[in-house]
Amino acid sequence: MTKQIHLSKFPQRFTVFIYGFLLILLGSCSRIDHKQSALDPKGLVSQNQYDVFMLSVWITIFLFCAVGGCLLFVLWRFRAKSKEEAMEVPEQMHGNSKIETTLILASAIILVILAVPTLQGVVLMNRVPDPNDQATLDKLELDRSQIEDAITVNVTGKRFFWVFEYPQYGIVTANELVFPASKAVRVNLRTEDVIHSFWLPKLAGKMDLMPGQENFMWFIADEKKIRTGIDKDGNPYEVDIPTAMPSVFDGKMRQAIFAKQAFTDEFEAVGGLFYGQCAEYCGNSHAYMSFRALAQTDKDFDEWVLKFRNAQNPNLQPSAYSSQNNYDKGDVVTFSDKKLGDDMSRDFRAVQAVTKGQNPETKPDAWEKVHSDDFEKGKALFSSLQCVQCHAINRTGLGAKGPNLTLFGLRTSLAAGWMRNDETSLDKWLRNSNDIKFGNLMWNGEGIDDRHPLRQLEDDDEKVSQLVTYLLDLK
Amino acid sequence: MAIESLKYASPDTETKIEAKVFPRPSQHTAGIVDWLTTIDHKKIGLMYGMAALFFLLVGGIEALLIRSQLWSHNMEVLTNREYNQMFTMHGTTMVFLVIMPLSAAFFNYLMPLQIGARDVAFPRMNALSLWCFVSGGIILNLSWFFTGGSPAIGWFGYAPLTDTRFAEVLGDMGPDFWIFSLQMLGLASLLASFNFITTIINMRAPGMTMMRMPVFTWMTLIVSFLIILAFPAITIALVELMFDRTYGTNFYDFLEGGKPHLWQHLFWIFGHPEVYILILPAMGIVSEVIPVFSRKPLFGYGLVIFSGAIIGFMGFAVWSHHMFTTGMGVVATSAFSILTMLIAIPTGVKIFNWIGTMWDGRIRFDTPMLFALGFITMFMIGGFTGIMHSSVPIDAQHQDSYFVVAHFHYVLIGGALFGLFCGFYFWLPKMTGRMLNEKLGKLVFTLMFIGFNLTFFPMHYLGMIGQPRRTHSYNEGHGFETWNQIATIGSFILGIGIAIGVYQFVSAFFNKRLKPAGKNPWDARTLEWTLSSPVKEYNFARNPIIKARDQAWENNYGPKENHSQKEPLDDHGVHMPDRSWYPLLTAIGLFVMVIGMLFHASIDASGELVRNYTVAIAGGVVSTVGIIMWSLEGPAGYHLFPKEKEE
Repeated sequence: MTKQIHLSKFPQRFTVFIYGFLLILLGSCSRIDHKQSALDPKGLVSQNQYDVFMLSVWITIFLFCAVGGCLLFVLWRFRAKSKEEAMEVPEQMHGNSKIETTLILASAIILVILAVPTLQGVVLMNRVPDPNDQATLDKLELDRSQIEDAITVNVTGKRFFWVFEYPQYGIVTANELVFPASKAVRVNLRTEDVIHSFWLPKLAGKMDLMPGQENFMWFIADEKKIRTGIDKDGNPYEVDIPTAMPSVFDGKMRQAIFAKQAFTDEFEAVGGLFYGQCAEYCGNSHAYMSFRALAQTDKDFDEWVLKFRNAQNPNLQPSAYSSQNNYDKGDVVTFSDKKLGDDMSRDFRAVQAVTKGQNPETKPDAWEKVHSDDFEKGKALFSSLQCVQCHAINRTGLGAKGPNLTLFGLRTSLAAGWMRNDETSLDKWLRNSNDIKFGNLMWNGEGIDDRHPLRQLEDDDEKVSQLVTYLLDLK
Repeated sequence: MAIESLKYASPDTETKIEAKVFPRPSQHTAGIVDWLTTIDHKKIGLMYGMAALFFLLVGGIEALLIRSQLWSHNMEVLTNREYNQMFTMHGTTMVFLVIMPLSAAFFNYLMPLQIGARDVAFPRMNALSLWCFVSGGIILNLSWFFTGGSPAIGWFGYAPLTDTRFAEVLGDMGPDFWIFSLQMLGLASLLASFNFITTIINMRAPGMTMMRMPVFTWMTLIVSFLIILAFPAITIALVELMFDRTYGTNFYDFLEGGKPHLWQHLFWIFGHPEVYILILPAMGIVSEVIPVFSRKPLFGYGLVIFSGAIIGFMGFAVWSHHMFTTGMGVVATSAFSILTMLIAIPTGVKIFNWIGTMWDGRIRFDTPMLFALGFITMFMIGGFTGIMHSSVPIDAQHQDSYFVVAHFHYVLIGGALFGLFCGFYFWLPKMTGRMLNEKLGKLVFTLMFIGFNLTFFPMHYLGMIGQPRRTHSYNEGHGFETWNQIATIGSFILGIGIAIGVYQFVSAFFNKRLKPAGKNPWDARTLEWTLSSPVKEYNFARNPIIKARDQAWENNYGPKENHSQKEPLDDHGVHMPDRSWYPLLTAIGLFVMVIGMLFHASIDASGELVRNYTVAIAGGVVSTVGIIMWSLEGPAGYHLFPKEKEE
């Protein structure tokens, strides 16, 4: 029988290097408040998830050090130091049931430490606390009204964007979820095609949108956490509410984000802006299916809801001018305007009380144009280019194929959270959305081919600029 | 060398008809015909291994393309569909065409040697298993060349994304190829598993009681049971999916009352035991290697095996932890969460026992031992992140993020692949008769270890800061770039390491300058090390009579009464069965049947759907004929007369 025993110093040097390397890797993950980071919780549910996670991290670091240290010790202590030693025959021990039992029990106990907060966390994630259960509310540091006045949002996932419906208010929007920071938000999740997953890391973790089933999750933001953070130099800061949560309804949020946020800026300056993402693979453009959630004060949220309700209220839409009606100052009507083109009409607002028969043509002084020419042309294009077949504006139209574009000019992002919603991006998007978001349904959907007017926009500067004006003026 | 041979003529074997069509290759067949018709478990094992190593390179290239695309934000190395195809093919390839067949290669080659058998119980079925695996691999990769290209559905093909209703390319055939390829691969695994179970239960050498079997053989047995219990679930799921896609049934189509949840349950009832199917063989290998390089028996042998069995058993009770975010309700998620935590205990037991084995040993650090130690460390990290995922609140953030990607690569590369590489470095001297170059081996280990950790450790962090998995692109401003770049660099280092390793394995068979290994180069413990390297085609010239657990070790160091004995040489020698064409023919028939099914539907000139099953039926007939003929041909064969010392 031949035996060839090899010895080498290699492993000792190697392990020291590796453990050092792992420590450096761990150490360099210091910055944790990235846009979509679960390590920077800003809400009750995500804070709970973070706490359980950190508990598990400490448990496993302890175990890794204990077991890994033990392993290193054994490797060092019992290494064969010479060729002679490598040929020795140590005692052939087959086991020790006492040690084994102890270790099994110890691991079971460690698991219990993790199991208890896990079960508490499961309940917290799945059930909004009962507003009548004062003990629980106290423990969670919640006010009764925060639960009682909770708002509900029905989220519908589609390839590749999000529909947000507020059943309490009868309004529908898309890709940007506006919510009051002080109230609980109940989220009902549905999908109309494949499985998606609603992931809002800083507020609530994720829940899948299962076809044929309604799933539920909830979250509540923490105003104090929204106002605080750590700046680029690592110093903590605290800002006032208007800075942290600029109002959405009058466009301040949009301005604040555009002013402070460059896309290359990793660290978000606007605390009330949250990033979310579809987390279940849903097809070609799954990566582009992101969304945003915008936290608001109660007052700003109510203003936003009111504005949205008015915009989507069919009774408040301007009707065609009728010569049988008297109009009060401020009334808006649609009336044909030959200057814009044949068969074109535009919105006119009465600058004074108008009696029967005084239409904008016969009495121009009494009426003013509500929108610019480009806006009106853009609006007409929106219909003639068949945009309207998929996108609802100022209507709820849940069944529409594309995102609802009501008050689009207030949106901070475009293409399901992928780009900033400004003139440049919108211009690029309208010309060739396939370049930006390959496989998107606006370019590739059913019935859209090279003959579709949308695909003729690429070199049509005039039309594009009219559409941009129209869409961004919807505010 | 045994030179004399006799033609074996069994009185009840009528072989006249088939002899004219497919004459059985004789004893001295060599070259390609030998490899195509062999029924020797060692050759089949080697072919399994080589095919799997080839697919490892294919899947690796797919992985490197994925990593290149993620180098920075908004990269355009691949389009989004190409990227989605890459991760689907990478996952499917690595699970079904690399890790499982590599394990099967070791099962095939070693298990009969470890229990003192001359072959597996059903050698021709074993060959059929190999050819089914090969054709499954071919079918999967053929998908690149037909409508829609490869499947872009993810390796777990969640319904209803697989439904034709949601196909993003008109007439996409990718998922069909995927379905049929998985069915073929499932067939291969089932055939092999029944074979291994029968072999282990029935064909152990005298004295080889169950509790004397090497741990690796025990893991073979447990994994085989897992396979035969788990694969029916995915077989059913795939049949239903095929019906949905081909004949418009509604198992998963929610618009017609189907249930996408059903797919997830069926898939993960298979899919979670599958995880243990992938990792237990590696654990078995490591449980063999650590005692050898510590010169001590495995600490707590019984407990290691029992915990392996417990892991296998409980593996069927935790599948829903893959579905914590699908809205199963408080009770179900809590129950599966606790069960999942429990499964950590038997896994921990194994790690304790490996350390216990090394305690008071004389530890040598040869390449196999380095891979075994790498396995323990990396698998520990993967296990710990697994415990994290068992907690539902944590999983609500981790699910479908890069944290999960990091977790299962720590288990499947740091665990399974390191374990399998450990097995290669340990057993290749036995298979080739040559020692591998230690320096090169250590270089491979260093590259793989560093590359692996560089690639996957940052992914924990990437997942936590919000990078979702399976996204072909990410926007700037998320802080993902730096760590993705580190991961990409790491993946290329890992890729180079693996490529050198594969080169080293393959060249060991041809490189005549390598040192000869001798019977037992590592001073190892189990029965296969009492045989010559490479092992003779008849394995054991005389049946060994087993007296102790670590028989090779006991023969050298144990008391006299523990030394194995041998049954006397038989007068009529060792009967060797003849090679056979029929396993290959049967597999080809199945392959043709699958191709026939894939292309059976077409649209005729008037726009009508026409179904034509001619090719499929022809394939079915061929495979049926193959099975019938192989039942009729009998073992036939010849006798070898090895001398006393020749084994």
